[in-house]
Amino acid sequence: MRRRALAAAALAVMLAPLAASAAGEPSSGALPHGGNYTIYRDATLASAAVDLWFRAPANGYDGASPGIARLAATAAAAAPLESGKSLVSLVRGTGGRLAINVYPDLVDISASVPATVARRVVAAMSAAYFSPAIDDDALKISRTDVAVLSAQERYSPDDLVHDALFAQLFAAGPEHVAPIPANLTDLKGVTLEELRAFAKRAFRSANGTFALAGNVDATLLTAVTAGTPGSPDAPITSTRANVPADRTLNAAVSGEGLAWAGPPIADERSATALDFVADYLFRDETGLVSKSLDPTGDVYVNGQFITLHDPGVMLVTIGGSKPAAAESQVLAAIAKLQQPLDAATFAAAREAFLYHLAADSQAPSQQADNLGWYFAEGNASYAPSDETSTYWKAARSLDPQFVASVVQKYLAHPVVVRLITAPSKEPTS
Amino acid sequence: MKFRFAALAAFVLLVAAPGPARASAVPVVTRGGGVTLITQQDAAAPLLQVVYVVRAGLDRQSLAQNGLAALTAQTILGTPVKGVALSDAIAAAGGSISYTVDPGDVRFEIQSLPEDADRVLALAHAALAAPAFDPATVRAARSKLITRIAENEQVALQVGLDMLSSTLPGSANAGLPEFGLPAALTQLGPDDTKAFYATYYHRGGSYVSAAGRIDALSAGTLASLGQALPDGDTAPVSVKLPPLTGASRQLVAQRDISAPWLIAQYPAPVVGSKDFGPMLVLASFMQRTLADMADVPGVVSETYASRAVGAVYQYENTRPNLVLYVNGGIGNPNRSFATALSIASILASTKLEGSIDDFKAMASGDFISSTNTLEARAWLAVVYDENGAQPDYLSRTLDAISQTSAADLQRVAREYLSNPTIALVLPRQDS
Repeated sequence: MRRRALAAAALAVMLAPLAASAAGEPSSGALPHGGNYTIYRDATLASAAVDLWFRAPANGYDGASPGIARLAATAAAAAPLESGKSLVSLVRGTGGRLAINVYPDLVDISASVPATVARRVVAAMSAAYFSPAIDDDALKISRTDVAVLSAQERYSPDDLVHDALFAQLFAAGPEHVAPIPANLTDLKGVTLEELRAFAKRAFRSANGTFALAGNVDATLLTAVTAGTPGSPDAPITSTRANVPADRTLNAAVSGEGLAWAGPPIADERSATALDFVADYLFRDETGLVSKSLDPTGDVYVNGQFITLHDPGVMLVTIGGSKPAAAESQVLAAIAKLQQPLDAATFAAAREAFLYHLAADSQAPSQQADNLGWYFAEGNASYAPSDETSTYWKAARSLDPQFVASVVQKYLAHPVVVRLITAPSKEPTS
Repeated sequence: MKFRFAALAAFVLLVAAPGPARASAVPVVTRGGGVTLITQQDAAAPLLQVVYVVRAGLDRQSLAQNGLAALTAQTILGTPVKGVALSDAIAAAGGSISYTVDPGDVRFEIQSLPEDADRVLALAHAALAAPAFDPATVRAARSKLITRIAENEQVALQVGLDMLSSTLPGSANAGLPEFGLPAALTQLGPDDTKAFYATYYHRGGSYVSAAGRIDALSAGTLASLGQALPDGDTAPVSVKLPPLTGASRQLVAQRDISAPWLIAQYPAPVVGSKDFGPMLVLASFMQRTLADMADVPGVVSETYASRAVGAVYQYENTRPNLVLYVNGGIGNPNRSFATALSIASILASTKLEGSIDDFKAMASGDFISSTNTLEARAWLAVVYDENGAQPDYLSRTLDAISQTSAADLQRVAREYLSNPTIALVLPRQDS
């Protein structure tokens, strides 16, 4: 219902000047030529975050092209625009930074730039993606880029464990496959035509959402001149494994991880409860488990609830030379939360959680990332960076009994992945 | 055809339609009773940030008291308020408190949700005005400091910067490491922290700099925080150290790290000087150039290789400096480091031909991105005011960058980038 209303507003947007939004008031609407936007304005800043989000399967629409979304997103940023400059050159030349973030079900192009050039960046980004002109050179650059990232990931235990856990939790679909393939022969088979076809479908304006934050307003979006009206793709889901199995893998680095399938984004209160649990146990420096680790040792624990369309995933990664002890600590801490915390402890933890939410959405790049992610996952009004959102209502409504019930329901049986550097008895992927 | 038309239309829009202008918030400064109060209201910010600066930094301690400034600040964070340590009490109230010990001051960084701001600042006020210097609190603070020192020892860049700080001209006690040394800390107890607090925690020269949701505070709360300490000025401990002599300007340390780090330090101009803008441009140019050289040619994404090298202009320091660093974990550190030093040397001897607009854009972009957090905004206003510049740091800095010419770059490079001090942080030979 909400999305239909947004699309219907497109004509009015084209005919009338886009109104400036007031400071601190998120606004959203339809782009002039298809697609959507969401904005959080802070006029006291000198910077702007310009993010463009798409729903797209990282392994291709046929499910058989691992890494194609990354390849296409990078190639579009590297391809020359009408000016002769690529998007990445333009952003860097203005003193900004461009990042390409590809998730199993989403693509995010993120620029952090001085506010004075935000308009140029919106124009260039929309041209680069809504009318992609990928050529052989751009494909070559993109292949090199993905090869470097793939090589890096081989030495990143967190990334490897993350991908391996998702491969166990999901039996099929984009979430089952790493967005950056470990096997580069998969990429070599992608032709220019296939890449163009993917980009044309995934990056069409109707499937895109601009998320702007910082010293920005809706008038910037009149710089979007490319695109064709239409409907966006629905949020992408993957098939869950019936009984996810534990797994041990050979890798260049050791590591360990645990994951649990959680609630969908639509179950706001439960999803927020698991965010609370992740914050209470695993936040760096303040989390109960984090604080219990030897700060001078090499063991570390990262924990987060990843809010996805359906289901979300609670994910804990453990690094260092002796992860077994940390795993026991993690499991014990989660088991303890199956019983309600006492009122005073819970009240303090919830207040700290609320503060962390705000502290993590200070910078424009954080706000744009947040707005875009929740929009693309199908629940824009739930974005935590907006303190008037339903997220904050859910967070304030949490109580010890409800959190304990959510822990009991979702965090009972984790799937475990272990990376070992010595040969394993089990077959490897 | 359609695409060309679209591009033309985009160009017209770029020219005709005004985009958002520079930031509109200008810090407001009020002085009185030894306290400078700076406010930057931001109704769209999610938090209130307060930076409270007291003249009780490294230069107020003697060599034998190495770590006393940090121990006193840490004790304040551990002071029981309503039965729990201040830092825990503030966390439970919807905020956070931390501290940084600088060469000339200690600054307490306090954040809170807007609706909790009065409560959080009241907690901080109470502990700052009456810290608990009992043995248990000081012992706990010492233990935390020793842990933080051990953590820092694993960060090669920090080890190198600490070594280099002590060699800067006139650094004396101000060049001591931020948290001190474990051996010195074990000699310091409640009486020492109590005496340090009584001597140096005074209002004179202090700052209360707030940014974000100041409107959420009750009237007079910030001014009241500024009055938490007794009146009076203090002075640094007077020390005369002979200048560093010797033919070698290399410092070498070994730590439990996996790869060597090479760090070069040059003196640099102070904020607000005529050389400030050019040095920002030089620093950004060197940062980008080093990253581009370290990276795989043509890649779009930021990679480990590009992050393994860097140039940092530490203009907020009492003795500003430019640092170039190379992490030897990736590639050949000697080659990267030699290249970095060569770039500095070439910049000093050769006037850049052609436009330097791209370099200036990089410098502006880098500076703007450094002002995105509330903490940075509150602290930068203090740094600029301390250096005699207007605390309107943003427009002043962007103007300074904008006015920089190629001749300025060469002049500044020649004046500052000729004679670096070099720190090598190497893996232990037995590790």
